[in-house]
Amino acid sequence: MRNITVKMVTAYLLTILLLIFLNFLLQRLLPGDAIIAMYSGHEVVMTDELYAELVSRHGLDLPLHEQFLTYLSELAHGDLGYSYICHASTADLIMDALPWTLLLMGTAFLLSAVVGIVLGVESSWRRGRRFDRSLLAFMLLLDGFHSLVIGIIALAIFCWHFGWFPSSGAMTSYLSTGGIGHIRDVIWHLVLPLATLTLSMIPGDYLLIRNSMMLTIREPYVLTARAKGIRERRIKYLHAARNAILPFTTRIGVRLAHLITGMIFIETIFAYPGLGLLTYNAISNRDLPLMQGILTVSVILVLLINIVVDLLYQKIDLRVGYAY
Amino acid sequence: MHIKQFQEFAKDKLGVFGVVLLLLLLMTAILAPIIAPHDPWDYSAQHLQPPSKEHLLGTNDCGYDLFSELLWALRTSIAFGISVAAITCTIGVVLGVSAALIGGMYDMIVMRIADALLAIPTIMVLILIAAYFKPSTTVLVITLSLVMWQTVARGVRAQTLSLKTKLHVKAARNMGAPTIYIMRRHIMPELFPLYAMGFVTKARTAVFMEAGLSFLGIFDPSTKSLGIMMSYAMRYPHFDIWFNWLLPPVFALSLLIISLGLISYAVEGIFDPRLRRNNVTPI
Repeated sequence: MRNITVKMVTAYLLTILLLIFLNFLLQRLLPGDAIIAMYSGHEVVMTDELYAELVSRHGLDLPLHEQFLTYLSELAHGDLGYSYICHASTADLIMDALPWTLLLMGTAFLLSAVVGIVLGVESSWRRGRRFDRSLLAFMLLLDGFHSLVIGIIALAIFCWHFGWFPSSGAMTSYLSTGGIGHIRDVIWHLVLPLATLTLSMIPGDYLLIRNSMMLTIREPYVLTARAKGIRERRIKYLHAARNAILPFTTRIGVRLAHLITGMIFIETIFAYPGLGLLTYNAISNRDLPLMQGILTVSVILVLLINIVVDLLYQKIDLRVGYAY
Repeated sequence: MHIKQFQEFAKDKLGVFGVVLLLLLLMTAILAPIIAPHDPWDYSAQHLQPPSKEHLLGTNDCGYDLFSELLWALRTSIAFGISVAAITCTIGVVLGVSAALIGGMYDMIVMRIADALLAIPTIMVLILIAAYFKPSTTVLVITLSLVMWQTVARGVRAQTLSLKTKLHVKAARNMGAPTIYIMRRHIMPELFPLYAMGFVTKARTAVFMEAGLSFLGIFDPSTKSLGIMMSYAMRYPHFDIWFNWLLPPVFALSLLIISLGLISYAVEGIFDPRLRRNNVTPI
């Protein structure tokens, strides 16, 4: 058991290292000159001495492997670079945006999982009947809507047409209602992005659980439970669904990638000040250091969650431990 | 896998509906140069016109005919989807089969790379690469394919591993058939369901990504793309343009993704025998 854990953690660490290396390499591969790129917007007269001075101050005259070591040690100290467009440290910009993104993604993940699991279980239990068939058709249809599409439709109806919800931001600035009013304000801003993101995630969860339930329902222990005369609801959720959720946990990593993709589009549409909007702004301004910082942080986050899921999974499903 | 695939598919109404829808969209995209009433790059018309006989969906802020633009954008999406799916599946099949047959160190390296790709949020990598190199559409197609092959390779590898131990493959090997012959004659044809599945799902993801990335402004703004149309239309919330400018690309994109989704679900139902609709006793 310990052996697998070590193997797994090394694999993940390797991924992170590879990514950091890619990040470092991309900067060096970029055509053009870093110094010129950084200072071209400023009112400086670039003399030869100034140029040489800047090159040595930024350490660009060192050999590549030393530059890489410096980069690594700075990264370990939490320094993700400096955005020359926002004039702020990349780490600060990301830390400002991260809580909003975590709030949005975390809530959407939980909500869509609960709705998807319940609908999937109910649907598979009534396999082939009208409820199952219409729900399945509906979900396949919903699955066909790009998160962009759901977002745009929600924005057009609820913000532009009815004006019920704000079309940008995560809270009203200078709000003076204090405590509860503040929370209400945050929720009011969260509703549409959250609903959109959740809706775009539900079909995936539903289809996964429905398929997995189809297989579990035929297990002998479900038949046994039935023969013992246990009540239907109990069999459905405590015997069958509990095991049908297992593949769901292994796929959390993949779902997370979907969630991040959706998050970028939806935050952009609703101008919600999280990592997605930050990415969009970085693209529009060609703010490369910021983009790299976002990539590094999001990959580390995803890998950390994956490690936790993998460790948990070994505890949940003991067969995995024996399989190695 | 010896299933009468096409008969089985024809029984799935949703799947057939998806195929019909996809064929219609394909026809529209192929015939776009003939159907389109105007040159989509011609900006001589009056700006922001409402729909009329001359301009079926009106014109945009630069004087482009929106209907023609829509047709060409659909063409871009479909071409992007097909090329990414083709390249991705080729990479996936080649790597998957070779990993299973060669094994050892090579197998391990390929599979570790696949694992790493699975955990990295693809879209972030694409955005970064696109921002650094301002790539052409072709380069973007290849980049996207390079980060999407892992699921295909994984499936193909697993299937090949199990085929390798089957009797008919062993028999062929004992009679001295060369590896290439075994691959061509016995392994590749049996993997057909995996190509079909992989092709449709990857095409769907590629269409999805193309619309999203162009919406975010990564593509060359002069290409006609559904995402670019949407992002331009979003800039004018105060005009009443959403029904003729914003909704058509939204609608076209949804139809395309829905049709691919329906087909992939139907194909999955056929080839995963555990999910086959007719061999299950209902509870």
